[in-house]
Amino acid sequence: MTSRGSRGSALVAVLALLATGCAGPASSAPEPTAGSVVRVAAASDLRFALEEVADLVASEHPDVEIAVTYGSSGQFAQQIGNGAPFDLFLSADLAYPEQLVEEGLAEAGDVFSYGVGRLVLWAGEESPVDPSDGLAALAEPAVRTAAIANPEHAPYGRAAVEALREAGVWEAVEPKLVLGENVAQAADFVRSGNADVGVVALSLALAPASGADGRWVEVPIELFSPLEQGGVVLAGARDPAAARAVRDVLLAEEGRAVLASYGFSPAD
Amino acid sequence: MSGSLTVRVRRHVVDAEVVVPLGGAPVTALFGPSGAGKTTLLRCVAGLERPDPGSLVAFGDEVWCDDDRHVPARSRRVGLLFQDHALFPHLDVDANVAYGLRGVPRSLRGERVAEAMATAGAGHLARRRVRELSGGEAQRVALARALAPRPRLLLLDEPLSALDTPTRSRLRVDLREVLVRSGTPTLLVSHDRTEVLTLADRVAVVVGGRVLQVGSPAEVFGRPADAAVARVVGVETAAPGVVRSRGEGVLGVEVGACRLTAVDVPGEAALGPGDEVLVCIRAEDVALELPGRAGASSPRNHLPGTVTAVAVDGPLVRVDVDCGFPLAAYITRPAREELDLVPGSAVVASVKGPAVHLVPHPQ
Amino acid sequence: MDWQAVTVSARLALATTAILLVVAVPLAGWLAFSRRRWTVAAEAVVALPLVLPPTVLGYYLLVAMGARSPVGRWWQEVTGSTLAFSFSGLLVASVLSSLPFAVQPLLAAYGGVDRRLLEASAVLGRGWWGTLGRVALPLSRAGLATAAVLTFAHTVGEFGVVLMVGGNIPGVTRTASISVYDSVQAFDQVAAGRTSLLLLGFSLVVLTLTYTLQRRGGPGWPRP
Repeated sequence: MTSRGSRGSALVAVLALLATGCAGPASSAPEPTAGSVVRVAAASDLRFALEEVADLVASEHPDVEIAVTYGSSGQFAQQIGNGAPFDLFLSADLAYPEQLVEEGLAEAGDVFSYGVGRLVLWAGEESPVDPSDGLAALAEPAVRTAAIANPEHAPYGRAAVEALREAGVWEAVEPKLVLGENVAQAADFVRSGNADVGVVALSLALAPASGADGRWVEVPIELFSPLEQGGVVLAGARDPAAARAVRDVLLAEEGRAVLASYGFSPAD
Repeated sequence: MSGSLTVRVRRHVVDAEVVVPLGGAPVTALFGPSGAGKTTLLRCVAGLERPDPGSLVAFGDEVWCDDDRHVPARSRRVGLLFQDHALFPHLDVDANVAYGLRGVPRSLRGERVAEAMATAGAGHLARRRVRELSGGEAQRVALARALAPRPRLLLLDEPLSALDTPTRSRLRVDLREVLVRSGTPTLLVSHDRTEVLTLADRVAVVVGGRVLQVGSPAEVFGRPADAAVARVVGVETAAPGVVRSRGEGVLGVEVGACRLTAVDVPGEAALGPGDEVLVCIRAEDVALELPGRAGASSPRNHLPGTVTAVAVDGPLVRVDVDCGFPLAAYITRPAREELDLVPGSAVVASVKGPAVHLVPHPQ
Repeated sequence: MDWQAVTVSARLALATTAILLVVAVPLAGWLAFSRRRWTVAAEAVVALPLVLPPTVLGYYLLVAMGARSPVGRWWQEVTGSTLAFSFSGLLVASVLSSLPFAVQPLLAAYGGVDRRLLEASAVLGRGWWGTLGRVALPLSRAGLATAAVLTFAHTVGEFGVVLMVGGNIPGVTRTASISVYDSVQAFDQVAAGRTSLLLLGFSLVVLTLTYTLQRRGGPGWPRP
C-alpha cells in the first residue's frame, strides 16, 4: 500500500533528522570548537578555588575554555569508568586517579598531586554550637544534626568518619548524621542551618559565599589519613595538550597560591 | 451476477447455514427476535468477526472465510449500513460519502458522490455537517456512503430500528426502491415484520442461532414451517390440538373443547387422525360477530366465546377471546365501537378453513 | 540565571516530545485496538517509568548504554563518542522515561472513539494505518494535545535519570533542574531561586493548559 510505505519513510526521515541534530552536542551548544574546551571533573571541595584558577587559565591561555562539573570524587571515578567524556579529573583522593590508571583509562605519567585537603568542624552563622570544643562537642545533646559527605564515595566523608571514630564519639554522633552527596552539599546543609554543624572541607568554609560569621575549627590531622588531592589527564581527552595546560596552571606558582589561600596544604 | 453467497457459520450461539442466490431478486432478510444471532451472522459475512473453525463464507467462487484463511473486511468490497448511521463526525457529508472512494481517481470522485447521494435520496444534504442531520437524513447519507464504492454485496443491520415511526415508514418505501434500482445483492437483518415484508424478496427465519426456514415472505409468514417459526413470525394464536378426522380435502382438529376445520394442503406434511399439531391462526384472519346471527356462511369455523381482553394496537384493536382455547383477533376500531366489545362480552369468532394453519407439533 | 541549562532543557524537551508523538500515536493505537491478550503485558511495560524510581531506570540505562555495554560500544564505533553522558544518551533516557506520559492520554482518547466508526472505516476499504490516521487520530485530538504537553513538561522536570545518565556536563547534559541542584551546592541561592521560579511558573502554565484542553472537549475535540 503506497500510503503505508510513504508514511513509514516519513517516520524514518523525521527520526534521522532528530538524531543527527542531537548527536553532536558541541555543535549545538554555544561554545567554541572542540579542542579548546577542557572538560574538568572536579571534587566539590575545589568549587571556589577552581573558579579563581579558571581566571588564571583564561589570562594565560585565552583560547582554552574550561567546563567544570563538580561532584564527589568516587562518583566521578565511576562515571569515567563508564565512559564519561571528561578530559581532566581533579580528585580529593589520589587513590581514584591511580585506580583509573589501573583500569587503563589514563597513563601513570599523567597523574599528579596538587595539594593536601584539610578537614574542619564548621558551624553556620546561626548555629547554637561552638566548634572550639572540637569533635567531642558533637556528642552533646545541643547538637541535633551533623552533616558530612557520603563516606561511600566522597573522600572527605570517609575522612570525617575516621576522625569521629578516632575521637571516640562515633556511637554518639552516628544517629545524628546527615549525609551530603558530596562535601559541598554537606557544607550547604551547614550554611543553610539545616544541620547544626558539619565536618567538611576547609576550602568550602573559607569561601566568601559561606558567610562571614560561621565558625570553624580544624580537625587535628592525626585523627584521619591524609586527604592527598590528586589529578590526572585522562587518556580519552580530546585535546590532551589543552588539558595539560590547565594542569600546569594549577601547579604553577600562582595556582598554588590560590590553592593555599583556600586552605590546601602543599603537596608532599 | 450469478452464483450464491454461501454462509455456514458457527460462532457463539450461532450455528447457521444460509445460501443466498446473487442473481435475480436482490434482497434477502434475516428475520428473528433480538439475540437470535442474526447480527453475528451479518458481521461474519462483513468480515468484522471471525467465526469458529468449521465455518465457511464464500461469495460465489471466492472464499472469504474458512479454516485456512480470513479475508479482511476491507478487501471484500461490501457495503455496510449500521443501525445508527455511524457517520464520521469530524467529516462533512460529502467527505463521508467519498470515504470509500480511495481507488477512484480524484477527478471522478465528485461525480460518484453525487450519484450515490441522488440514489439514496440525500442529494439535498450536500456539504452539511453530520451533527446537523436528523436521524432519517443521517441514515440516507450512510446509505449513500455504503453505495458510493459500488459494492458487490450490501449488508443492512436493522437499518430503520433507530428511527421514529413516521421517518421509518417513509424511509422504508424509499429504501425498497433504492435497493431494487441498484440491483446490488442485499442481506438485511431485522426483527420488524413490516420492514421485512416491505423490503425483502426472500426471508430466512433465524431463531436461537439457527436458520429454521427460508422462503418468500408469503411462504414464511403465511405458512410457518414449525412452532418456533410460527411464534417468531407473529402468528397470534398457536394452540395445541389433535387431528381427529381427514377427508374431502379438509382436516378436523380438536382444540380444547372445540372442533375446527382446516384445509388439507397437498404437499405439506401428511397429517392423519391422532397427530398432535399446533393450530396457528393469524389474528387478522379472525372475524367477530355478536351471538344470535344464524345463517349459512362460508367460514367453516364459528366459535362462541367470551372476550377476555381488548387492547388498541395502532389502527387496529386486538381482542382476546376465550372460546375453549385462547384466540386472538384483530378488528378495526370502528368495528369494536359498533359491536361494543369489552371484557366479558359474548362473541362468536369466525375463521375460514384456509386460515387455520396446522403445524406438526408432537408433544 | 543559567540560560545555557534552560536551553539544554528546552532542546531536550522538544526533541523528546517530537520523537514520542511519532512513536506514541501508533503504539497507543496498537495497545488500544489489538485483540491479542498479551497487549496487557505491553501496556504494563509502557507504564513502568511511572512507578519505577528514576534511579532504577537510570541504573538500567547505564547498564544498557554505558561504555562497557554492547550498545555503548557500537555507538562509540559509529560516532566516536560515548552514548551515556551525551545529549543523545540523555534523549534516549528521556524518551523512555516519558513514554507513558505520551502513550496513556492517547490510549484513553482512542478508547473513547466509537468502535463502529472504526469498523465502518474498515468495511469502506481502509487498512489499520488508514483507520488510525483518518478516524481514530482526528477524533483524539485532545488526547494528542495532552500527550504533547505532558511529555514536554515531564521532560523538563526530569532529574534523577538525567543526573545518572547525563553526568551534569555544562551545555550538554546540565538541564535546568540539575542547575538548581548545582547552584545550591555552590551556595548560590539567588541563581537557584531564579531558576526554580522559572520552572515553577512553567509547570503552572503547563497544568493550566492541560486542564483547559481536557475541559474543552473529550476525545472528539475539536469538532468541525
